[in-house]
Amino acid sequence: MEPIAYAARLNEFYRSQGFPAYQWTINESAPLTPLKKPLAGCRVAMLTSGGVSRKNAPCFNPQARNDLRLDAVDKETSAQFFAINDDYYNHRDADRDINCIFPIERLRELQSEGVIGEVGPHHYSGFMGRIYTRNAVVSEAAPALARRLRDESIDAFVLVPA
Amino acid sequence: MIEEAGIPTVVVSTGRDLSAQVRPPRTVFVNFPMGNPFGKPFDKVQQRKILLDALHALESVKSGGEIIDLPYEWGEQFAMNLGSGYRAKTA
Repeated sequence: MEPIAYAARLNEFYRSQGFPAYQWTINESAPLTPLKKPLAGCRVAMLTSGGVSRKNAPCFNPQARNDLRLDAVDKETSAQFFAINDDYYNHRDADRDINCIFPIERLRELQSEGVIGEVGPHHYSGFMGRIYTRNAVVSEAAPALARRLRDESIDAFVLVPA
Repeated sequence: MIEEAGIPTVVVSTGRDLSAQVRPPRTVFVNFPMGNPFGKPFDKVQQRKILLDALHALESVKSGGEIIDLPYEWGEQFAMNLGSGYRAKTA
């Protein structure tokens, strides 16, 4: 099947609700930093924005707006130790198996097999709440995350939006 | 921002049009429902393949903004299902 036209569908939804038109982020170009070493030598971490919290932390607000919360998730966290709270996508499958959206077990296996060098000390979960304050992301939250990743010597970062 | 800080990134996307607008440095697009970017629950083989495809994109992509369309098919038609947050507002 053809990919779903999410932007067009959402534009229509906002219009039908009488909301102002959504201001999509449209970038004309993208930076590219080459990988500095082979994957087998890389320390890799991941980010999910799917409202994924550990069971010893507060749940994400499933209706959140402008929620810039970002949790560090210990790399050894069990796949059963997560809760998902986000009312804006269907996470029924991921509730049963977190690897559907956040494949932490698969990444650990790739480390065991030597495909990647190692999993970073933390993964990250956050930026889930329909963020309309993009300036705050660009000026504060994203640079703060980049600093953390540098401090943890992350060589490659996998982002999984939801 | 992370890329500009010197850390290569790859996005695993289920929204091809959204990624084309935002243009992350590297995207692998999977034509699966939004809640299933790595596939079905407990399908370790599929999950692993998509993760590997994402990692390999870190090595193969040579120009920023590239989208790699992965060949996997969900196996049945699926609709935009954004969850109860949107339905609640429609009601």
